[in-house]
Amino acid sequence: MKKYLKPINLMELLRPLGQLIVFSLGSAAVLSIIVLALAIVLNNTAAGDKIFAQLKVSLFAYTVANLPQVLVDGLTLGFVYAAIALGYTMVYGVLEFINFAHSEIFAIGAFVGVEILIALQNAGLIGSGSSLFMDYVFLILAMLAGMAVAGGAAIAMERIAYRPLRNAPRLVPLISAIGVSFFLQDAIRLTESLTTGQFNRIFPTFGNFDKRITFGKIPMGAAELPFSVPIKSFIVIIAAVLMLVVLNYLVNATKVGKAIRAVAQDRATASLMGIDVNHIIAITFLIGGALGGAAGLLYALKFTRIDPYVGFYPGLKAFTAAVLGGIGNLTGALLGGIILGLLETFAGSYLSIFTMGAAGVEYKDIFAFAILILVLIFRPNGLLGENVTEKV
Amino acid sequence: MNKQIANGLRVGLTFGIVNIFLFLIKFPVIAGTIIKKIIPNFIVALFPINPDILDILIFIGLIGIWAGASGGRKLDEKSDNWLTSFVGGAAAGLVNALLIGALVFILGSLTDAHVKINAYLAAILPAVVKLFLLDQNTLNGSLTQFVFSFVAGALGGVLGFAFRGQWFASLKNKWNAAWASLTENPQIKKTFARPIARIALSALGIAFLLFIPQIAGKYWNYTIGTVGIYVLLGLGLNIVVGFAGLLDLGYVAFFAIGAYTVALLTAPNPHHLMWNFWTTLPIGVVLAAAAGILLGIPVLRMRGDYLAIVTLGFGEIIRILATSDLLTSFTGGPRGVTAIGQPTLFGKPFSSDTDFVYIIFIGIAIAIFITIQLRSSRIGRAWEAMREDETVAQAMGINTLSHKLMAFAIGAALAGLGGVLFASRNQFTGPEDHNLMVSINVLSVVIVGGMGSIPGVIAGAFALKGLPEILREVQDYRILIFGALLVAMMIWRPEGLWPTARRSMELHSADPEDPESGEAKTSEDKP
Repeated sequence: MKKYLKPINLMELLRPLGQLIVFSLGSAAVLSIIVLALAIVLNNTAAGDKIFAQLKVSLFAYTVANLPQVLVDGLTLGFVYAAIALGYTMVYGVLEFINFAHSEIFAIGAFVGVEILIALQNAGLIGSGSSLFMDYVFLILAMLAGMAVAGGAAIAMERIAYRPLRNAPRLVPLISAIGVSFFLQDAIRLTESLTTGQFNRIFPTFGNFDKRITFGKIPMGAAELPFSVPIKSFIVIIAAVLMLVVLNYLVNATKVGKAIRAVAQDRATASLMGIDVNHIIAITFLIGGALGGAAGLLYALKFTRIDPYVGFYPGLKAFTAAVLGGIGNLTGALLGGIILGLLETFAGSYLSIFTMGAAGVEYKDIFAFAILILVLIFRPNGLLGENVTEKV
Repeated sequence: MNKQIANGLRVGLTFGIVNIFLFLIKFPVIAGTIIKKIIPNFIVALFPINPDILDILIFIGLIGIWAGASGGRKLDEKSDNWLTSFVGGAAAGLVNALLIGALVFILGSLTDAHVKINAYLAAILPAVVKLFLLDQNTLNGSLTQFVFSFVAGALGGVLGFAFRGQWFASLKNKWNAAWASLTENPQIKKTFARPIARIALSALGIAFLLFIPQIAGKYWNYTIGTVGIYVLLGLGLNIVVGFAGLLDLGYVAFFAIGAYTVALLTAPNPHHLMWNFWTTLPIGVVLAAAAGILLGIPVLRMRGDYLAIVTLGFGEIIRILATSDLLTSFTGGPRGVTAIGQPTLFGKPFSSDTDFVYIIFIGIAIAIFITIQLRSSRIGRAWEAMREDETVAQAMGINTLSHKLMAFAIGAALAGLGGVLFASRNQFTGPEDHNLMVSINVLSVVIVGGMGSIPGVIAGAFALKGLPEILREVQDYRILIFGALLVAMMIWRPEGLWPTARRSMELHSADPEDPESGEAKTSEDKP
């Protein structure tokens, strides 16, 4: 009995929370300062005049007034990226290859969850008239189902497409992963078009997720800008933080986690120490897949519409985030995700105003990749990656 | 025996479930149309049944045989004989057949009861159900399906044993010996080693290549052109990935630079420069090479996957720039550039798909020449050393940065050439021609063909760009099949279709049963 009543390692529970807060506040502060500085510089240029002509406020006041909203949106997106990035980084840590198919695992999670919710809606269990409590219960159930299926798919993928290639040169599993990615994309599309020939799905409207909580008004010149956050943003943030904390605990404070870290460090020696390497790698895929699946449903909740190719860009961004933080490093993935989410939202909100509409929202992706390239030029192993000295 | 039966049942269940999925998306019907193309008509005419149904049966039979072979596979050395294979195969066949039979029976009964199945399952029209039932009534049709799949499974078990048994091994040995006696024969070798013989063979090959576009129709020339452009791109990336060992996922950027150079300089919109095609061709190539060097200088210090993601980011940046509003007046924006200039020869237009095949052939010939010359040169050997071990190469006095830059620039130049030809042939280029998929496809061409191998790249381009063009009927399932084939290929033939001798030796020298030898390999590969 005592075996199961191990004292909970409080430190490990609190540490990731602390990290999350520090990372969020830190990157938010840095980006805010940069944006505000830019606003001050641009205040008296044509960009400032244009805003003044439109809204009768200075560019600086406009920037400040919009800041809270941008920060909340950025963090929401950042946590979704972080949850996906953790899947990439865990697999990379253990197997040292880019699991290109992780974005399809994400899509599977999203589709399973949304399909369940649509079925519940058709059955009349959620939607108009259902109790709020049951709405949340069903949302959590859908998410758990999505996690389970996505995790299972990840294990199957590892078993079929990666395990036979364990010892092959590194480009071989990469191509295999690309193959799996294509295959799953089309398999999702074909499965989803089984019934009606339509493969897009809309997240059903139920519960109070779209309602916005108003936190007051921010003065902007003569007018006032309401500062409100939709409830679904809170759900995304809370769910992502919970997952990140649990994952961190799992990896850093349990026996399985120790085994995962051992396998990541040295597979051969780990197997000599009595660790079942295949089993641990399967568990890693399960955890990564489940996280990806949950992130998929959170993404669907936030952006409503999903299609079989929905995983591609979030996956690409999350992978970028993982590399930005230092791939193979869990904390790095967290930091990278938050930075990338914030960066994208900042660019999306301010870029077109600062450049007077010349560079629109679509430049946010350029921005993200440009920052990635810059960071890697100066820190080739990512922000938190260790400098690996090569053995000769 | 029990273990074999359990294995058979498990395999049968997997195959059965996959089969149900395939039936529900009416894949057997689609596969039937491909089989119809492969099998000559006079053979089909030998069977006194509806050819559509015959094709479906062939597909279901092949899957059943596969299920049986994998149900009856060797589980341990001692108890591997005809009987266990047969029992395992039959067990797999039974479960598979039960599931298929039940599905067909349900679909048939529902149709008999006038339920509109296609309201729930879009692909299952009454005509499709009729094909599934093999043109018989519900009971007979599903029973036939059941018996057919069951027999196929049992047959598969037996066939599987035959092919792994001694009988097949001795056949294989005989074949190899016969082939060797032909190719190793000193007389024949001597004849072919003569310069005259080689010249004659090359002349024959060239004449054949010149002749093909004349007999091929418009559609085929278009397809050959597309494959040819992918051969060009593959040869370029082959230098970067195959020779120098740099994983570049943003290769499409250079392709885009070539395409946009020719587009903007020759098209009436948006700039109305209307330059001559032949003037812009070298400009496009040089610009692409310059971009390769410019990108290379900062990023080539990175190793492995970091390089991959940075190049990927660069490719995306180029694509987004081409789409963006800011540059719309310069690049034509999301709608792209149309009416791109086409080549003329001696004052006459030289721009039909047939003509372009020749231009692309010349491009490929130049690329092959460059590749061969480089491979055996000092630079080529430096690349090889760098690919095998960068640190040691550096210690031996190779300037790794300049050699990497050279690989990047040459690869980019070939991509630029491909882009110029692609844009000019299509008379159109837009951002969607230059998405990440192009990079991934070209990388797949190189790897599937065989890294570092020139004939491999050609074979890879045909397999990856040619086959999908031919399999137009399966348009809907193309990506599905393509993905599955990529995975299968990597598992069973990772060295590629036409590998270089050294690489196939590398991949097969390590004993797969011995984890230590493989382990040593991966740790060497660490960045």
